[in-house]
Amino acid sequence: MTPGSTRTDQERGTAPELLAQWQEEMARNLLRMQNLAAMIMNRDEPAVGPTPREEIYRKNKSRLYRYRSSPKRRTPVLFVPNLGISRPYIFDLLAGGSFVEHMINQGFDFYLLDWGVFGPEDNDLTVDDCVTRILPRMAKKVLESSGTREFSLVGYCMGAPLSACFLALHPEMPVKNLINMAGPIDFSKAGLFRCWLNPKYFDVDRYVNTLGRIPSDMVRLGFKLLKPTMDLSTGLNLWWNLWNADYVRSFRALYKWANEYVPIPGEFFRQWVKDFYQGNRLIRGDLSLRGAPIRLETIRCPLFIVAAKEDNIAPPACVRAMIDAVGGRDKEYVELPGGHISLIAGRAASVHCWPKVSGWLARRS
Amino acid sequence: MAEYPGTQALFDLWKKQIEEGTQVWARMMGQGQMADPTQFWRPFMDQGMAAWSKLFTQGPMTPEFLSQWKQFLDQWIAAWSKVLEQAMGTEAFAQALGKHLEQWLSLQEPMKKATEESAEAVLSALGIPARSQVVGIARQLENLEDRLEGLDDRMSALVAKMDEALKTLAHPKPSSSRRAAGKRKKRDDRTDH
Repeated sequence: MTPGSTRTDQERGTAPELLAQWQEEMARNLLRMQNLAAMIMNRDEPAVGPTPREEIYRKNKSRLYRYRSSPKRRTPVLFVPNLGISRPYIFDLLAGGSFVEHMINQGFDFYLLDWGVFGPEDNDLTVDDCVTRILPRMAKKVLESSGTREFSLVGYCMGAPLSACFLALHPEMPVKNLINMAGPIDFSKAGLFRCWLNPKYFDVDRYVNTLGRIPSDMVRLGFKLLKPTMDLSTGLNLWWNLWNADYVRSFRALYKWANEYVPIPGEFFRQWVKDFYQGNRLIRGDLSLRGAPIRLETIRCPLFIVAAKEDNIAPPACVRAMIDAVGGRDKEYVELPGGHISLIAGRAASVHCWPKVSGWLARRS
Repeated sequence: MAEYPGTQALFDLWKKQIEEGTQVWARMMGQGQMADPTQFWRPFMDQGMAAWSKLFTQGPMTPEFLSQWKQFLDQWIAAWSKVLEQAMGTEAFAQALGKHLEQWLSLQEPMKKATEESAEAVLSALGIPARSQVVGIARQLENLEDRLEGLDDRMSALVAKMDEALKTLAHPKPSSSRRAAGKRKKRDDRTDH
């Protein structure tokens, strides 16, 4: 043992082993350089949304897609994602890493509502329109095209409170099951957005009246501000894993999605901020759409709620509130590791989230 | 994988400094005053340098060191993220953000209006429809689409009702039930007599 050292040569490893480890590290560095060069030189867009689908119906910018499958389960699933903000191909990002693909492999007849990319002509679109005009029509088309009498409704993020409002307003709709994935319900616990959208500091009327809509750049700014160090840690993780071709492939697809923001129609944003974030009217029970009250307690179908532990957009407490607000007895809440996006997309989602969602639905389909 | 005590000690020290620095930062934000930033960084750097020099006296490094360095960076970023999240969750930040947005809107409003007006004037002079006109047409088309769908719904409902009515006419109640009802009536009449 040399003076000043605390371990023997045996414990530190022999010279050949050390050499082998450094050789492996050098090889990885070479692969990193290679993959970095390939990323820079390759201008092709990554292929996303690989699962084949057909367009069943369109209403203005909104599209209803049915994914091709041989369904084993009788009850089709209508998936309602967030309106605006981002594109829905995150749910079908890559082959082998797609929530849609997983659900189809589990035997579900899967429908996705793509709200679309909005232009200035859509500035007048409101929450009322989405809940009372678009969603009922989409639901009807699901039933018509699947030839079934009922369907399951899955809402993710903003899609969950919209789905809940739709179901509360249309109790005659044959919704067999309802799933809320990271959907905020009690906006008093909605984290940083709730703080920033405080009516004392944020004049939503002025914002909407000036801009007409929320441009994609402002949407990007808002979400980047939620986690300013995200880009730094993304870059660091990319460098660390750059030797891994699979990681690079996933990164390119996710990077494309993460930088493709969608504007939010002005009137929708106005109503969303005033009634949901500022007024928290959904959980308080005094929200009305097209003059009709929205009462969450009228929802009596089986309910499954999935929240993400590190979600800073819809924190667990904000999502969990739905379990006590609805009627019905068959209700379940789970909190899974991950953030708002990693709950439903990525390797961890395929391990923690997807099997739970498909398993719960399968037992009720 | 074998642990390297020098690097572990280094990271333990840095972790402790991150925690202490974070507390200092949070106190700074809470007090609403600009404290000396080196109060955060000086102990971090001093002890880091001491640990670095100790590290290099302890024999050859393995690539294990690189993954520990990565872990350290991850922890450093996570600590900063926490600090920033706390700072941005304050009323002071929300107020500052709101003010900044107000100022930006104050600049945007006249600029946007002037740009739109001049663009409309130019397009009108060239005989090309302006954006607002195209948007107006798009809205009218949307309304038309809605009305057509409404008509389609009503037609479907009417057709369904007609189908039901036709089915009832096509398949009336079976005659045996009518004959049985008639027989019962005759029997009752005879007994009365």
